[in-house]
Amino acid sequence: MTPPRRISLDDWDRRYAELRRAGLREPAYGGDLRRHVTEGDTRLLRLKLDNSPAALRLWNFLLSEEDRLRHARREGNILVGVLKDLGTVPVMAYALPSVVAFYPDGAWWLPCIMEHSTALLETADSLGVDDSFCPVRAMLGAFVCQSHFPIPDLLICSTGATCDDLSAIAQRLEGLGHPVFWWEIPHRRPPDAGEPSVALPGIFRAPRRQVDFVRAELERVRALLEDRTGKPLSVAALAAGIRRANRVRALLSRLRRRAFTATPAPLPALEMLIAEMLAIHFCSDQDECIAVLGALLEEVDRRIAAGIGPLRHDAVRVFWVNPIPDGVAPLEALARTALADPMAGSPLERAERICRDAARFGAEALVISRIPGASHCALEGALIGHTVRRRLGLPVVEIEVPPVADSLEPGLRTRLEALVETVRSVRLPTSMGPGGLQ
Amino acid sequence: MDSVGYVSPFVPPEWIAAHGLRPAWLTLDGREADLPEGARRGTCPFAAALIVEALSGSAAGALVLATSCDQMRYAAAYLDAHCRVPTFLLNVPSTWQTPQSRRLYREELDRLGGFLAARGGRPPMPERLAATLLRYDEHRAAALRARPAMPAGQWSRTLIALRSDLATLPEVKASPAAGIPLALVGGPQPAGDARLLERVERAGGRIVLDASEGGERTLPAPFDRRRLAADPLDELVRAYFDTIPDAFRRPNTRLYEWLAHHLAARGVRGILFRRYLFCDLWNAELHRLRRQSGLPVLALDLAAGDDRETDRSLGRIEAFLETLTL
Ligand code: SF4
Ligand code: SF4
Repeated sequence: MTPPRRISLDDWDRRYAELRRAGLREPAYGGDLRRHVTEGDTRLLRLKLDNSPAALRLWNFLLSEEDRLRHARREGNILVGVLKDLGTVPVMAYALPSVVAFYPDGAWWLPCIMEHSTALLETADSLGVDDSFCPVRAMLGAFVCQSHFPIPDLLICSTGATCDDLSAIAQRLEGLGHPVFWWEIPHRRPPDAGEPSVALPGIFRAPRRQVDFVRAELERVRALLEDRTGKPLSVAALAAGIRRANRVRALLSRLRRRAFTATPAPLPALEMLIAEMLAIHFCSDQDECIAVLGALLEEVDRRIAAGIGPLRHDAVRVFWVNPIPDGVAPLEALARTALADPMAGSPLERAERICRDAARFGAEALVISRIPGASHCALEGALIGHTVRRRLGLPVVEIEVPPVADSLEPGLRTRLEALVETVRSVRLPTSMGPGGLQ
Repeated sequence: MDSVGYVSPFVPPEWIAAHGLRPAWLTLDGREADLPEGARRGTCPFAAALIVEALSGSAAGALVLATSCDQMRYAAAYLDAHCRVPTFLLNVPSTWQTPQSRRLYREELDRLGGFLAARGGRPPMPERLAATLLRYDEHRAAALRARPAMPAGQWSRTLIALRSDLATLPEVKASPAAGIPLALVGGPQPAGDARLLERVERAGGRIVLDASEGGERTLPAPFDRRRLAADPLDELVRAYFDTIPDAFRRPNTRLYEWLAHHLAARGVRGILFRRYLFCDLWNAELHRLRRQSGLPVLALDLAAGDDRETDRSLGRIEAFLETLTL
């Protein structure tokens, strides 16, 4: 077994040739990673990537999404652009044949991966959406330039207890002639005393009537999808869609548990981050998403069994993904999932959940990575930092990372190194903290 | 009688007053807001000013905030963690086209009633509620009739009184001299803007339309007497939730319909656009406002700690007025 390492793109060229010679079998979107650089993803030249075939597949899957969407359009599929909600509407869309859902807001990372060669942010600037907004403003540029993802046939945006940045930009899209279907997620609140309530996936409860409200909103989404496709979205089809989505989430959940608790860490943080992203939007192909995550999990299991990994220890900021409840009516299940979105409720609840995860995964420090311009970050970061310090006594560092952070890298590195040193100095007297300092 | 402070036009003062408590529309000055390090960068100065005021204990006996923007939702959580003043977060749906959104708003008013009762308020009988609603409605109608004769500063003070306990409604003074008709559009007016408005009028401008967050745009529709008698709470919901146009509503087409109608009706020739740093909801609208109104728009930016903003804005407004006279 090749020792796990984080390698440069040059190394990946050699590694890819080696794997091919050894008989590597790849899906249709496979190939060497270098070609993505030729297509503009120049950031790859600066990254260190995991050297496993599973990671190769992950990266190729991620970076070929635009091709997949164009292919889907040519094949006559309906493209649904989902804005904001974390994985609710895609589950409904994928329950229908001939529908492909994707998140145009994923365009936020194009200026980063393409290292500003896109002019997306400049286009957003010219429309008055400047850097007081979060990087998702790149999406506005992408709609205007029309040179990245195909323009969706339908745009569905969750609003209410979501973020102002995206809501405001989606409203601008509508003003530019891209009609948006709005559905509401109310701000999740704790049930009042004696008020009927429902358990949500994760640790929260919500008032029964809030769940009913969201279910009614999702009924509107269902009617829209049926109307646009001319096909009924039956309860059975929805239930099957939920089961498929749950397979993705179960895979991710196992991956997280294994990757975050093993020593040494079997997978670098970057590949874990991408795996987390896939579980939200399936990267426009749900079945392949399951295969990609499955391969990653196998690799992680192999490495854990062999006691090897690319890192000595890791510091991963946990992002929580909820399973969709099984055994309840499909729209009720989706409504509960939508309400369980950490951003739909109070940041104090989110802080509680972070504390729980941090303790569960044995985190020794917390990095709050603020997104510049994001309307929720300032107060949310302050509240999360306050709660984690108070509850867990962990060292916390807050950083702010713009989409292209190269010039800030030395400063960020210094702050993160200082955090690591702090953890080390605390660990030494007892010698063995979680994550191991063997 | 305890005061209940609020800053959202979707919180009906008559609902608070009908509970026997004193509604107080808070005017804040984001220029002076100074949050603790760590919460400062990225927080809109208005939300920051609210937090600072609440932490100082001088805002009101209780606070009602609304979920209409992220910053307010997070401010509510911040106060929950750091402040003793009881705070209620009113869920105001941003969609408005469905019966369930409207129902949610009504249920939220009910919950607010429970909060007020827990602060010493008395749940109103329908007759008392209807009478309170009528009293506010009549004062609003009278004030709107008198508005054309009021200088901008006085109109601002009147609006504050209309959203509070009605006790401090100012006397109508003589009409200001004619000037270039201007509209004020955007987020909340900071407390310090009263001076600015007076100086605008001295410089030859005249605010004929206040479409800022606390302005005429967000006054509720007049109550329908028949519906009021049948179900006063439902009529309250109609007048507020069904009619107030705002930037956060999705879609926010009614904001532009309202503006198109009123800008034309008042013969507005230029717009002063009040926006706060990190306020995405209004910042995103500036470009669209320019295009849709077809009028010259001057953006007045407000950032925390910028105590020279008023002087700078005045200079810019004077230059703006000059271009409008050409
Ligand atoms: S404000 Fe936050 S949640 Fe909203 S799009 Fe930006 S980064 Fe995402
Ligand atoms: S100024 Fe904007 S961001 Fe600030 S509280 Fe008002 S609507 Fe929210």
